[in-house]
Amino acid sequence: MEEQEKKHWHDRYYKKLLIIPLVLLLLSLFYLGSFYLETGDFFKKDISLTGGTSVTIYGNVDREGLEISLLDKLEEVSTRTIYDVLTNEEKAVIIETTSNVNETRVAIEEYLGYDLTEENSSFEFTGASLSSSFYKQLLIAILIAFLFMAIVVFIIFRTVLPSLAVIISAFADIVMTLALADILGLKMSAAGIVALLMLIGYSVDTDILLTTRLLKRDEGSVNQRIYGAFKTGTTMTLTSLLAIFFALIIVRSFSVVLTEIFTILVIGLAFDLLNTWITNVSILKWYIKNKK
Amino acid sequence: MKIKLTWKLWFLAIILLLSLLSIFGLPSFDKGVVITSVETNSTSFNEGLRKGQIITSIDGKEIISLEDYTSALKNKFVSGERIKTTIISDNTEYILYSNQTPQITVAEIPVTNLKLGLDLSGGARALVKAKDRELTSSEINDLIDIMGNRLNVYGIADLNIVPVSDLEGNNFVLIEIAGATPKDLEKLISQQGKFEAKIGNETVFIGGERDITSVCRNDATCAGVTGCFESPDGAGEFCNFRFSIYLSEEAAERHADITKNLSVNSTPQGNYLTERLDLYLDDTLVDSLLISEELKGRVTTQIAISGSGAGENREDAISTADAEMHNLQTILITGSLPYQLEIVKLDTISPTLGKEFTKYLLWAGLAAFFAVSIIIVIRYRNIKASLAVLFTMLSEVIIILGVASLIDWNLDFASIAGILATIGTGVDDQIVILDESKGSSNLSIKQRLKRAFAIILGAYFTACVSLLPLLWAGAGLLKGFAVTTLIGITIGVLITRPAFSDIVKKMGE
Repeated sequence: MEEQEKKHWHDRYYKKLLIIPLVLLLLSLFYLGSFYLETGDFFKKDISLTGGTSVTIYGNVDREGLEISLLDKLEEVSTRTIYDVLTNEEKAVIIETTSNVNETRVAIEEYLGYDLTEENSSFEFTGASLSSSFYKQLLIAILIAFLFMAIVVFIIFRTVLPSLAVIISAFADIVMTLALADILGLKMSAAGIVALLMLIGYSVDTDILLTTRLLKRDEGSVNQRIYGAFKTGTTMTLTSLLAIFFALIIVRSFSVVLTEIFTILVIGLAFDLLNTWITNVSILKWYIKNKK
Repeated sequence: MKIKLTWKLWFLAIILLLSLLSIFGLPSFDKGVVITSVETNSTSFNEGLRKGQIITSIDGKEIISLEDYTSALKNKFVSGERIKTTIISDNTEYILYSNQTPQITVAEIPVTNLKLGLDLSGGARALVKAKDRELTSSEINDLIDIMGNRLNVYGIADLNIVPVSDLEGNNFVLIEIAGATPKDLEKLISQQGKFEAKIGNETVFIGGERDITSVCRNDATCAGVTGCFESPDGAGEFCNFRFSIYLSEEAAERHADITKNLSVNSTPQGNYLTERLDLYLDDTLVDSLLISEELKGRVTTQIAISGSGAGENREDAISTADAEMHNLQTILITGSLPYQLEIVKLDTISPTLGKEFTKYLLWAGLAAFFAVSIIIVIRYRNIKASLAVLFTMLSEVIIILGVASLIDWNLDFASIAGILATIGTGVDDQIVILDESKGSSNLSIKQRLKRAFAIILGAYFTACVSLLPLLWAGAGLLKGFAVTTLIGITIGVLITRPAFSDIVKKMGE
């Protein structure tokens, strides 16, 4: 009986449900567009994509004092502190600046009063020319990856609209994730772009499951097949989501790179739930009903 | 056990065993310290000590730990005299006569064969390209030879230099140095190192083996810091260094030719020629040496080169002078690079934190494993099925690590993200298999599993193609992620997924 009611409910509202992701997608696109007009880019880039130096100093450092002293010596300084997950102790301070390694080193050593050695610090420097070509290439990599993915999806399903539904969902995942990342003030590095690529993979997994169950099977009603796919698909996404979320809590206390990848994946997977089970399902159902 | 294993399960079991062997090696009862690098052309190298050997005893004392190694050699060479050291390594006795500690680095014997990348073990990574010009691939190879030689001469043994290119067709040289970062790394790799000794406008000799037959190093009688002074402005100290070099006949004759026409200046300190010997490094004057009267017009093959280094205190100044001297010696031996270079990326990662990173990574892995277990148990309420999922997930990690240690893959953050992506898709696929196997009742379990594989293969191919561009983008710095993920998901589709579906089949029966 419950099943019947569900059917009823979904059959009546599935087109209207599409409004939710559509509005979110438009808002995200609008936000990204205005972000682009304002900054000239779709997201905030960290020094691996703008060029500059990132220094991690281990141990106890007065972050605020250091930042104030660096502000007029270096260009575009930003700092943050990393805490230990278990003890909540300060573990390290990270300084990012677009100045070069030597200027940065000298300015920090001046404030600290001791030398930065390989025992107490790590340095990462990326030249401006490399980072801008790096950035361009990663964007191209994402575009090519997306294109390849689209081609394979078309080859698998050989029908235009269902394949487009998969591609639209993946696209919406990326756009919404980027918009939220911008709103949260996340800075993207090369690792963040890798995370977007991983997201394409995870996102398409559940979409392929859904489309296969709906189009290539004939047992059960459409709604029963949707519900079956929903049960399998949400288990898949929730396992990944929870696993990454748990790992994120620990990773935060030692790796900036992994923290960035995991944060973007958590956001992306959450949006994927919406886009697979509302966007993709509704488009597919529409397609099936029209075909009948 | 009543369950008969199918060939797919046997296959998985054998691959798992091989992977464990590849990671941990055959059980070993070796005790000692392992040599991680040997400086080329040092006494240790000439006597036959090599990277990878295990030192078990020094001068009759048993060596079990790093502390034993340090204490066995501590205070041994303070006198500066040549003394005998007996090292037993791999059941062979090596006898060294030297006035300094063996020029090798050692570490505790590692538990696994896994190679940790720079992110985890510490070290330096630099990406270098030619300034204002594009290099052809043969020019890149020449550059790699010279640079490799330079770093080796400097004393860096554990290094990896490879050419890389990116999607835009730019060519780079990637240099990776494991462990401690040399103090002058930046200079060492980007400095063109064009060394010229001139008298007036005439070049007497240049750096490199054509003019300089040998350079005195590591020998206190002809190379070292000669004295330290307080800086004239009172801010810190500076130290002078001096070392001898030996010129080729040709260069020595050039020296004689040029000096024979110079006149002599008499000063209270002695009689010197009117012109000095000016030393230029990359077109900058670094030192100007007085030439004493006796050298006029003489064919001399031995010349002393000097210079200085400054620091905040004496200790600092000595270490700077030492580094400067070492750098100059290296350049004189290896000659200059054919063009000016530019460092476009330079990362130095502290090696002291590697162990801690690895510990945290294991915790993060455990947390993720725990999270997956919770959801699987709640969703299926079936201990056997849940255990099967977790077992398969674990075997996938073991096999990936097995392959990684087999092909000497360096595990860095990118690879770890790759392993994570693999496990994620792995668990996803197993959920698909489990759910499909319970699907419509009018199909045989074989047919149902076949359907699961249709979905899995679709997802596999989309993942594969979307990873391809990363193999080239960004000078290959993200290749680690792409390669690990590709290896991982392929292992999944070929080995662990089929085995898992057999387990599911068994459970269904």
